[in-house]
Amino acid sequence: MHFTIKVQYKNKFNKKDIKTIEKNKIKMTTKLWAMGLVLFCTLLTSTAQIFYKFGVATLELNILSIITNIYLITGLLLYGIGGILIIISFRGGEVSVLYPIIATSYIWVSFLSIYFLDESMNFFKWLGVFVIMAGIVFIGYGSKKGTAEGVGVI
Amino acid sequence: MATELWAIALVSSATLIGAFGPILLKKASEKKLSKIKSLITNYHLIGGVFLYAIGTILFIPALKGGDLSVLYPFVSLTYVWVSFLSVKFLGEKMNVMKWWGIGMIILGVSFIGIGSS
Repeated sequence: MHFTIKVQYKNKFNKKDIKTIEKNKIKMTTKLWAMGLVLFCTLLTSTAQIFYKFGVATLELNILSIITNIYLITGLLLYGIGGILIIISFRGGEVSVLYPIIATSYIWVSFLSIYFLDESMNFFKWLGVFVIMAGIVFIGYGSKKGTAEGVGVI
Repeated sequence: MATELWAIALVSSATLIGAFGPILLKKASEKKLSKIKSLITNYHLIGGVFLYAIGTILFIPALKGGDLSVLYPFVSLTYVWVSFLSVKFLGEKMNVMKWWGIGMIILGVSFIGIGSS
């Protein structure tokens, strides 16, 4: 059985094809770290939003109040780290794979808002979250690596 | 807490400004980025990061005007702006998938708006 498959492969593909298949295999493994990294970034940037919200509660319009606002600084730091890592991870993966992972941030922010900010979700808000996520998945599939979308949007 | 209209308008404008970030960063990535000197003289790179930052800085005060679970989904409008801007400034093409995506994001933020009132 094994032998026959091998023969079939030999007839179907020439050496060049096999080389491209091998290349794609390597690409697949790079994608895994990129996927993990993007998920991690998404959690960082979602947490940053909660810190922003805590930060603006005590924010006043003077420089001292802004630069000593520990919540705001933490939020910006998390967001900045997330942004840099997302740009790196886009070098190791396709937009169509990474966009759906980034889109999960809308779910994380919704849950974090419920637990940390005492906000409430309802049917239309959840529906909105999932329709937006589906929209981002579509844009991801419509985009190619190397397009502006491929730079990464956070 | 009811989310106020000015907050939604501010988030939407912030995403439009922030969307110029990826456009400029894409232009920046077409140039050599290996040396420090080429990084600091790459005005597309500096401009892209700057606009990203302006987008974020405008987003934060908007959070004073409402719930995070209402305002954050409006950030997804960035994808809509980036799609349009990349056609205008990078000569990229629209396709059926992108149009569906744009339509769904607009529908999605409309649902969020309905749910918040």
